[in-house]
Amino acid sequence: MHQTKAFNYSVPYYAWLLLFVIAPVILLLFESFMDVHGNFTLNNYQTYFSSGTYIRMTFNSVFFAFMVTVITLAISYPMALIMSRLKHAQFWLMLVILPTWVNLLLKAYAFIGLFAKQGTLNEFLTFVGIGPQQIMFTDGAFMAVAAYVQIPFMIMPIFNSLVEIDQSLVNAARDLGASSAQTLRKVIIPLSMNGVRTGVQAVFIPTLSLFMITRLIGGNRVITLGTAIEEHFLVTQNWGMGSTIGIILIIAMAITMYLTRDRKQGGK
Amino acid sequence: MKHKAASLYLIFVFVVMYLPIFYLIFYSFNAGDYMNNFSGFSLEHYRTLFSDYRLMRILANTFIIALLSALFATLIGTFGALGIYHTRRRGTRNTLLSLNNILIVSPDVIIGASFLILFTLIGMKLGFLSVLLAHIAFSIPIVVLMVLPRLNEMNPALIDAAHDLGANDYQVLSQIVLPYAWPGILSGFFMAITYSLDDFAVTFFVTGNGFSTLSIEIYSRARQGIDLSINALSTLMFLVSLVLIVIYYFLSTYQQRGSKKKRTLGTAVR
Amino acid sequence: MTQPIIEFEHVAMQYGDNVVLKSIDLEIESGKFYTLLGSSGSGKTTILRLMAGFLTPTAGNIYFEGKNINNVPPEKRRINTVFQNYALFPNMNVFENVAFGMTLKGKSKREMTEKVSEMLALVKLSGYEDREISELSGGQQQRVAIARALANEPEILVLDEPLSALDYKLRKTMQYELRNIQQRLGITFVFVTHDQEEALAMSDWIFVMDDGEILQNGTPVDIYDAPINHFVAEFIGESNIIPGVMREDYLVAFAGKEFENVDGGMRPNEPVEVVLRPEDLDLVDVSEGKLVVTIDDESFRGDYYEITAHDDDQNHWQVQATNSAEVGQRYGLYFDPEDIHIMRLNESEEDFDARLEQYEEEEAPDASD
Repeated sequence: MHQTKAFNYSVPYYAWLLLFVIAPVILLLFESFMDVHGNFTLNNYQTYFSSGTYIRMTFNSVFFAFMVTVITLAISYPMALIMSRLKHAQFWLMLVILPTWVNLLLKAYAFIGLFAKQGTLNEFLTFVGIGPQQIMFTDGAFMAVAAYVQIPFMIMPIFNSLVEIDQSLVNAARDLGASSAQTLRKVIIPLSMNGVRTGVQAVFIPTLSLFMITRLIGGNRVITLGTAIEEHFLVTQNWGMGSTIGIILIIAMAITMYLTRDRKQGGK
Repeated sequence: MKHKAASLYLIFVFVVMYLPIFYLIFYSFNAGDYMNNFSGFSLEHYRTLFSDYRLMRILANTFIIALLSALFATLIGTFGALGIYHTRRRGTRNTLLSLNNILIVSPDVIIGASFLILFTLIGMKLGFLSVLLAHIAFSIPIVVLMVLPRLNEMNPALIDAAHDLGANDYQVLSQIVLPYAWPGILSGFFMAITYSLDDFAVTFFVTGNGFSTLSIEIYSRARQGIDLSINALSTLMFLVSLVLIVIYYFLSTYQQRGSKKKRTLGTAVR
Repeated sequence: MTQPIIEFEHVAMQYGDNVVLKSIDLEIESGKFYTLLGSSGSGKTTILRLMAGFLTPTAGNIYFEGKNINNVPPEKRRINTVFQNYALFPNMNVFENVAFGMTLKGKSKREMTEKVSEMLALVKLSGYEDREISELSGGQQQRVAIARALANEPEILVLDEPLSALDYKLRKTMQYELRNIQQRLGITFVFVTHDQEEALAMSDWIFVMDDGEILQNGTPVDIYDAPINHFVAEFIGESNIIPGVMREDYLVAFAGKEFENVDGGMRPNEPVEVVLRPEDLDLVDVSEGKLVVTIDDESFRGDYYEITAHDDDQNHWQVQATNSAEVGQRYGLYFDPEDIHIMRLNESEEDFDARLEQYEEEEAPDASD
């Protein structure tokens, strides 16, 4: 009625939606049907599904992302639970958020120093008598750094869902005779599942597409979907194949979102 | 006993989270050239850093990109949020919101790759402009998500009341709606700055050979091994992050406009 | 008759298939206190928003001093609103809120200061200029909202359930003060409420609404004493409503007996509903009563006893008595012919008014002695 003018101010925003949201998705889809010379082809998808390399790479990527998610969740849930019961919970949350403001590259760079052959971790291992190990460029190193980077993104949503739980529900459970372990299992964990789901989404999907850590820490041993896309776009210049893997990544993302969607009943 | 275990666990996780960061900072003062064997305190690496003309230029680029992209993203995003807010039909509104969130849930590589295709298609030269456009593009949805809840939480009767008292559309916007949404707009601006400073993957795709940001530069140097001036740089970056987070924290707790001295005092006492 | 300041002509409002107002005709005269009374969803707030200009009617016309204002936006109408939750701007202090309208008009600083202090004095908040909205209590915010709307010097002030968020005592005080302000300024107030007591206490004229229609309008006394139908009778105060038959003019039968009354103009032996207000009933000796009832229950209400009883036909009765009665005992029930009010089933407001006028004329010589 009166708001027609505000609508006009929003034109740049709608232009952005069109140009930078809708167009890129369509372009990526188109590109995935192109060969190196820009002709239409189904070859990319054919290659993807018939050559074992790509399928194996995809499974590998999913496996690593899954492992990283499990490790992160195992560390983060108890952490969020402890934090949610502390007095200055919001302060501790700030401490969790702070490292996410440090540039990702710098964190990865720190691990290069820690994990190097003559690095600090190996000095420690020598000191306790185990002796220096090859840490850099191993699967373990990749998973450790990936989990390190993702922990805050898992803690935050779980913490938020935990503090939202009405304390009287916990009291009611205790009042009705539940032990603290039973209260945790039957009341607190089910009620915090939404946070866990959000956390899993926030960790699993980016881990599928990480490529910087795979290169710096994983030493090209771990190839994720992200690494493969970067490789095809920027190294081998095969945009068609890169886009195809991109579409696969989007599908993987959609499946993850579907599996972790908000359902009435808890459980994965 | 149980309490103690919980505290120990808490401390352990925090140590793990902060160890790499303080490790970097610690060795930035090392007189030696590696991240082991601390051989004495020195500001040597800070001197190298500030005399590294190339790095200083890249640092400037990074901040220019961050500020400019945040500014444009805040402008476009705020009016985008207003557009969504004024959309009456639920279906259209939800569609707009879903479209808005696509870039937030999309993996960086997908955004980077698809923007690369887009820029190549329209024949744009990769460099400053393409990086700036990409940063504006992925910051807009964050601004919208920061501003929209603030608008939704506003009592719609405030707009009616302003009209009722004789305000036209422009006056309602400038005197009621924007002041009310201001904390959200500021938060959006700061989030946009941090997103831009933090970004590596998208920039990596859409930057050409001539233009580089800090993340890109650290990546290429880290691939060649340890360079303690990077440590010095990370110390400075950490300080910048601290300042930003303090500002952001201040903004998010300080919801109301603070023009009145009484209010400022009240908050300070609290 | 003077020209009405606001007139609704067959005004209807619907959203899709959802009809909110059916076909409203109403006239508002200058300088009076009007109340739109109805439960939530009855359409009373819709009428208010149509007057203030936040809505455009889907059919019909709205006139302001004879000119059609269907499409005049709210900022161009000389009508101001006090909103339900006050809608005070949280980013401005009391002065800035009250002066908002004048700031937009570009009034001088001196003029604004004068007007604001005048308005704040009117609502008894002198000296509160520099307070922040968040520092005010609910009642004070209410007063600021009134001052802000009045500072714009409207012809009509519309108030959307302004007292509903206040506690009982404060509500009483504000009722009195609002009435006072209206009389002092002499402008028109249109007040929306779901509280019948509030409506009766404050208004010159009440519109009783239900389901998008005006059921009845009139002075508080008219509506209380002569409700048009079952709904209005129930809504306005407590009533005993008993089915009966109108034998002839001034003779009605209910509860197994015939009674003299003052209504007429109906068909002989027409089935009707009979209304008797609890405070018009007296408990007397069985021998003196017009009906005999047995007491079921009694509760003390401070200034009276609320008594429930049943007669021999099993009709339930509510009585407000000054003296206590004994539960299980039989008492006589006494009332005067004027206390009996007859409602015809499905009578429209026009027919009701016509009938009332007709027999009141007939009766006029009688009543004057």
